[in-house]
Amino acid sequence: MTTDEHTLIGAWALDAVDAGERELVERHLDSCASCAQEAAELREAVARLADVTIAEPPPRLRDSVLAEVRRTRQEAPVAAPGEAPESARDRRRRAPRSRSGTHRAHRLRLALGAAALAVVAAFAGVFATWSVMQQPGGEGDGSPIAAVLEAPDAEVAYKEADGGGRVTVISSDSLDDAVVVVSDLAAVGDDRSYQVWMVDEAGQVSAGVMDPGDSSATMLVEGLGDTQVIGVTNEPAGGSAAPTLPMVADVALDA
Amino acid sequence: MFDQGAEAHRRQDQPRLSVVAGADPATPEALLHRTALGEDDAFAALYDLVSGRVYGLCLRIVRDPAQAEEVAQEVLVEVWRTATRFDERRGSATAWITTIAHRRAVDRVRSAQAAGERERRAAAESAEPEYDQVAEAAAGRLEHRQVRRCLKTLTELQRQAVTLAYYGGHTYRQVASLLDAAVPTVKSRIRDGLIKLRDCLEVSR
Repeated sequence: MTTDEHTLIGAWALDAVDAGERELVERHLDSCASCAQEAAELREAVARLADVTIAEPPPRLRDSVLAEVRRTRQEAPVAAPGEAPESARDRRRRAPRSRSGTHRAHRLRLALGAAALAVVAAFAGVFATWSVMQQPGGEGDGSPIAAVLEAPDAEVAYKEADGGGRVTVISSDSLDDAVVVVSDLAAVGDDRSYQVWMVDEAGQVSAGVMDPGDSSATMLVEGLGDTQVIGVTNEPAGGSAAPTLPMVADVALDA
Repeated sequence: MFDQGAEAHRRQDQPRLSVVAGADPATPEALLHRTALGEDDAFAALYDLVSGRVYGLCLRIVRDPAQAEEVAQEVLVEVWRTATRFDERRGSATAWITTIAHRRAVDRVRSAQAAGERERRAAAESAEPEYDQVAEAAAGRLEHRQVRRCLKTLTELQRQAVTLAYYGGHTYRQVASLLDAAVPTVKSRIRDGLIKLRDCLEVSR
C-alpha cells in the first residue's frame, strides 16, 4: 500500500478519480481490510450528500423503467466464498459477461503461492506430468490455481512477447478458469502496468492489471466463457478501460 | 504530510456498516433482496422509494432534464440487473444505489466533456447546492438538514472541494484547477473533509 493510493480513497468515494486511479484504489481495497472499511464508511457518508438533491422525476419515467426491466435479464450473483465449487462455476457459466470492467477485481487474483509458481514455470516450456502438482501438503493443494493445473482437460498455450519474455496460459474448459503466467516481459517504469485481457468475438474485457513496474506475475482468470485470446498490453499505471495496441503478446486458446 | 490525523484511524475497529435486513419488508435492503429474486413488485416499490433520489442526483450533475431522465433510467435498470450482486455487509442499499447513480451521471458528464460539448462554467458555478424547494418538499427533511449542517462543519476548502467533486462531477485534479490549489492538497482535503462529514452524520443520526 502506498500513501498515494490511500489518500485517493476520499476522491475515489466521490468518483473524482480517473479510470486508472479507480482501478488502483479498488485493487488496493481488495488487499487491505481496514482501508475497505474506511472506503465503505466514506461511501455511506458521500451517499448522504444526495439527500439534498432529491427531485421528483417525470411520471413517465416509472412506466418506462418498469417496461425496460420486464425485458431485462438479471445478472448472476457473484459466487459466495465457501460455496460448493461446482455450483459456483455453473453460475459463472450462465452469467452474462460483464463488459464494464466493474467486477474485474473479482475475476482475478494474483497468486502468491511459490509452489504453484514453480509448477507453472515447469509448464511454461514443456508439458510436464500433472503428477508434479500432487505434492502432499503443498501450497498449491486445493487452491484454484492448482485446480486448473490438475484439471484433466487443462490445455497449455504460450506466446513469446514482443520485447522479450513469454505469456503462458493454462486453461480448463470444464472449470471455466485459466492460469496466466506472465514472465520476464520488457522492463517498465513505475508509471506503466501490464494489463491482461480476455478477448472474444464481442470484444475484450480486462482480466486484471499487474502492479506498476512489474514484468512477471501469475494470475488466476475466472470465467473464461468464450474467450479466444488472452492478450497483454502495456498501459499507464493502474491499467486502462480499453487496451492500448499493439498487444505485447496474444495467446490463442484452443477452441 | 497528508495529515491523516488521529480521527482517520480512530474508528477503523468499529464495523458499523452491516445493515441487517429486519422484519420490515419495505426497507430498501429488503426490497433490493426481493428484487434480486426477480420480484417485479418489489422492484416497483423500490422504484417509488429511490427514484427521486436517483433522478435528483442525475439532474444536479448533468443539469439537462432530458439527459437526467435518460441517465436515471439507465441507473434504475442497472439496479434491477445487478441487484443480485448487492452485498449488505458492504454497505446500505441506499448508498449502493446512490453510488451507481453518481457514477453513471459523472460518466455522462465526463464523456460529454471529452467530446467538447460541455460548458465547464455551468458546472463550476452550480457546484454549491442551492436551497432546493423540490427536495425540501420531498421526504427526508430531517436528513436534509443534517447534511447541510454537517457540510458547514467542514473548512471552506474541504467543503468546496467535496461539493465541487460530488455535485459538479469534477475529478480532484479539475477541482484543484478550479480552486487554484495544489493537487495533493485537494486530494487530502477531500479525504479529511469526508471523514469529518462521516463523523458528523453519524453523531447526528
